[in-house]
Amino acid sequence: MIELNGIRKAFNQGRTNELWALQGIDLEIEANCVTALRGPSGSGKTTLLTIIGCLSRPTSGRVRFKDQDISGLPERFLTQIRRRSFGFIFQKFNLIRGMSALDNVMLPGYPTGEPRTSLRERAARLLDQFKLDKRRNARVEWLSAGEQQRVAIARALINNPEVVIADEPTANLDSALSREFMGMLESLVAEGRTVLVSSHDPLVTDSTAVRRVINMRDGKVL
Amino acid sequence: MLFQPAIIALLGASAVCLLGMAAAAPFGVQILRHWDIASGSERQLALERRTYLFSTLVSFVLWTQFAVILLFVFNADRMSELFVGAMCAVGTLAADTYGFPALIAQMFVFFAVAGWLSINHADNLAPDYPLVRTKYGLMLGLLPLLAIAFGLQLAYFLGLDANVITSCCGSLFSEGSGHVISELSSLAPMPAMGLTAVAVAYAVFTGLRQAVGKGDGYVTAIAGVMAFAAGILGVISFISLYVYEQPHHHCPFCLLKPEYGYQGYWLYVPLFAATASAVGAGALQRFSRVPTLVDVVPLISRRLGIVAAVGFALFGLVAVLMVLRSNLRLVDFDAAQLILWLTPICCLP
Repeated sequence: MIELNGIRKAFNQGRTNELWALQGIDLEIEANCVTALRGPSGSGKTTLLTIIGCLSRPTSGRVRFKDQDISGLPERFLTQIRRRSFGFIFQKFNLIRGMSALDNVMLPGYPTGEPRTSLRERAARLLDQFKLDKRRNARVEWLSAGEQQRVAIARALINNPEVVIADEPTANLDSALSREFMGMLESLVAEGRTVLVSSHDPLVTDSTAVRRVINMRDGKVL
Repeated sequence: MLFQPAIIALLGASAVCLLGMAAAAPFGVQILRHWDIASGSERQLALERRTYLFSTLVSFVLWTQFAVILLFVFNADRMSELFVGAMCAVGTLAADTYGFPALIAQMFVFFAVAGWLSINHADNLAPDYPLVRTKYGLMLGLLPLLAIAFGLQLAYFLGLDANVITSCCGSLFSEGSGHVISELSSLAPMPAMGLTAVAVAYAVFTGLRQAVGKGDGYVTAIAGVMAFAAGILGVISFISLYVYEQPHHHCPFCLLKPEYGYQGYWLYVPLFAATASAVGAGALQRFSRVPTLVDVVPLISRRLGIVAAVGFALFGLVAVLMVLRSNLRLVDFDAAQLILWLTPICCLP
């Protein structure tokens, strides 16, 4: 489903503090399963996820998604693919304070032009699905860490993406919540989605929900 | 003479355009030499990232050319007060050898830019940069054209001398003055009306065909250019006479003066816009079979066809109204009326 060929990524290229975060990644990621990227901090997991999810571009190499080269697409096409095909769950959730859980979930749906009523209905259904129906109008800063994460998952799913990308999703959760989260990932796969997760948490990488673990270090796949 | 606000604005705009194009030129050369969409090399990805930036820069630069030509003519008209013998823009342009060449070069730039912008627009709507080499190659071709236009403008403005007694439009556009333009001026009204009506009607027809997706871009472009030439011919040979209500005043520039209610803009803006759109449709025709542009080119061409058809129709309509409102009678009214009423009928597809 996702194919990476010779992906390299440099930050501050040409300057004294130049850093090569990825140094030639060749990888194929299967559809409809959970794939985990495992490695220490600085191994390039997050950089790789941002490239796969069209949040950044490689310095060299190509990314193909469903047989289409997406690494060279002009920004307007890339935005469409990012919006429709990828859902993101960030380490710190990145929910917008001051807004309700429902509004946070609806937010990525606005640029698609979907009527507000149907968008609101879908967002409410997603919150129901994650047992947050009673908290939908609560501001996100009033929610517990577990609730915030479920809002973040609901938000990642609002545009019905084929691929869900989660970057260190359990970093701020205790063991019980982490296990609960892995259970949710399994349900996403059961719905036909592909899940990519980066973590150095054994609770994630050793979970039965994960079909394949890719080990990374120093910007390379081991 | 250089220190006139309009001249400073014009030269400033042209210089910025030229500098912008010159800045983009090395990138254009890189594209022509190194572009390889199949490669994932660092250089190719850098080119892909930068191409949108440069095409936006060049587009902005070229869009300003549309304003430059308007400002050039408007300025020439305004400056006529400064020259002894000048009554309108003609006097100002004739005050220096480079005046009319500068105007003609600016018109060439205008239409060339229209073609480039159409190609650039199509390329930006495709996911795989199918016209990137073509458009940067053409951009490099436009650069000398812009440089010539700027050079002529600069030479013209530098050469202007308020002490020079210039010719008025009456001498340049009078019948038998010896200029090529005088030949146009001396054309009999009836054939000129017929020619203009047929050319404009055909351009409207081809524009409409393009608009409904049945047209051929090359035909639309040729018809548009012919209609443009016929339109200018019509303005010189009979439309201006009807507006001024003087049988021997053929000047196409006095129409832009406040004394005549700036009526010329109602003729020229649609005429230039329509011709530019027709040229744009022609520029795109060659790329209609590029796989990723199969849907894009017809869509853009249809829109350009609409603009061309509406523009030429508006030009025709304004010309007809000018003739009908005038107290001047150049030809037997029934015959003229017949031609004028046939024009819109001819336009029907």
